[in-house]
Amino acid sequence: MSILSIILIIVAAVFFPGIIGMMKSLVVGRKMPSIFQPLFDVIRLFKKGSIYSTTTSFVFRLAPLVYFATVFASMLFLPIAGERGLLTFDNDLVFFAYMLALGKFFMIIAAMDTGSGFEGMGANREALYSMLVEPAFFITMGSLALFTGYTSFYDLFTSVQINTDFSYIIGISGVYVLIFIAMVENSRLPVDDPRTHLELTMVHEVMVLDYSGFDLGLIHITSWIKFSIYTTLISNFLLPVDWPLGFQIACFFLIQAVVAGVMGLLESFRARNKLDKNPQWILMLSAIAIVTFLATLIIAEKIVLN
Amino acid sequence: MDYILIILYAVSLVYFAVAERMSKFVVILSMQGFILFGVVFFSLNEIEIFDFVFILTETILVKAMLIPWFMNRVRKHNQLKRVHEPYIPVFYSIIIVILSLGASFLLSNNLQNAQLHTKFFTVALASVMFGIYFIVVHRNIFSHVVGYLIIENGIFLFSLAVGSQMPLMVNLAVLLDVVMGVLVLGIFINRIGDTFHSVEIKNLSELKD
Repeated sequence: MSILSIILIIVAAVFFPGIIGMMKSLVVGRKMPSIFQPLFDVIRLFKKGSIYSTTTSFVFRLAPLVYFATVFASMLFLPIAGERGLLTFDNDLVFFAYMLALGKFFMIIAAMDTGSGFEGMGANREALYSMLVEPAFFITMGSLALFTGYTSFYDLFTSVQINTDFSYIIGISGVYVLIFIAMVENSRLPVDDPRTHLELTMVHEVMVLDYSGFDLGLIHITSWIKFSIYTTLISNFLLPVDWPLGFQIACFFLIQAVVAGVMGLLESFRARNKLDKNPQWILMLSAIAIVTFLATLIIAEKIVLN
Repeated sequence: MDYILIILYAVSLVYFAVAERMSKFVVILSMQGFILFGVVFFSLNEIEIFDFVFILTETILVKAMLIPWFMNRVRKHNQLKRVHEPYIPVFYSIIIVILSLGASFLLSNNLQNAQLHTKFFTVALASVMFGIYFIVVHRNIFSHVVGYLIIENGIFLFSLAVGSQMPLMVNLAVLLDVVMGVLVLGIFINRIGDTFHSVEIKNLSELKD
């Protein structure tokens, strides 16, 4: 049954960008595209050949594959609906985070590899934002580990019980921090705008400017899966494991759809941050995670107050 | 429940560090007033009913409504919108507020005293430290008043920390100070704003009689 989580995440990943696109056109008042439109786009890209600049080396060709492979591998660790992920061991959440980081590292050096000034700038920003968002993820997961006493995703999410006053704090701020980590990691608003077409202000989009055809399609698919991975973390946070399996799976898809819808809504209504405001905005996530961590210390009675 | 409110208070301090609009300062101040109301409501139950009702009304009326309303009027009168570059970038402010929170949590962990409710002590100390820092890094008088009110909220929490008798005494004294202080400073800001068309503190160094 451990294959279940992979299937669910991939199915959710296919619909995710479609729902965002539909929501955006609904808000603007355009005719809605098909929910499969992003999928058609990727299929079209897959049919095309790739063109490589003569200044690039093998790193540039390798990067999309590594990116896809690492994201796919980190997907294997996630439990869904109380079902074990395909792989699980103690401290796998650290492995998970650095697996994603490895993929990102390859995308960054591939962007540097092209020798384009714009891509180097984008890579620079991407590295900075990933560096700043990392403590937020680890502190949130660390507080959860301290709260439950386990360090693997499966044990962590099966034993977290959000039912007392205190655990509401962890639940609410954990979900809040995770949603915005997902936004930062997937280069959505307010840190990065996927619609922007000015190289000077792009972050993630500028890094993949030189990719075409198959490689670009692979990068698109990878970012969908990545989004779905983060939403799965959120749904694991929210869904109690003692509900019936079918009901949990329905709720899983509902949460994915709601997150995608909310994301489409947010992106239609808000503007992106000014670039120099981004670091402090991301650092704020870590600050909130630290406050949660302090709360967890009180619950775990590492800090004794009267 | 009081723990949740204390954590919320800590989060509100973080938002103070991040916020860059004057209107947001006022909103967070009002939020802190409501949080303090909740803290009093859930934790101060061994005192006399008159004192209890007095402190409750004081927190909700003065801290959560009257002062923010007055501050908002001052803000609108002087057309204050954004904080123009504080002395220290917001990035470092966030780090400092987190350090002060962490330090005061650790300190309260080491203070074991039967007379001291250390759960209030944590955010109280952080609030006073952050309030002073807030005054130091901002350049205009309006933000200084906000910093003064953050310190005052911290002192209120201190008075909760030291026992059930203190709040009324401390509050009566502090209430008068704060209301008078904010009123006088508000009028002061308005006059400065009318005369100089800005509330930057550098204007004050050029005053002559």
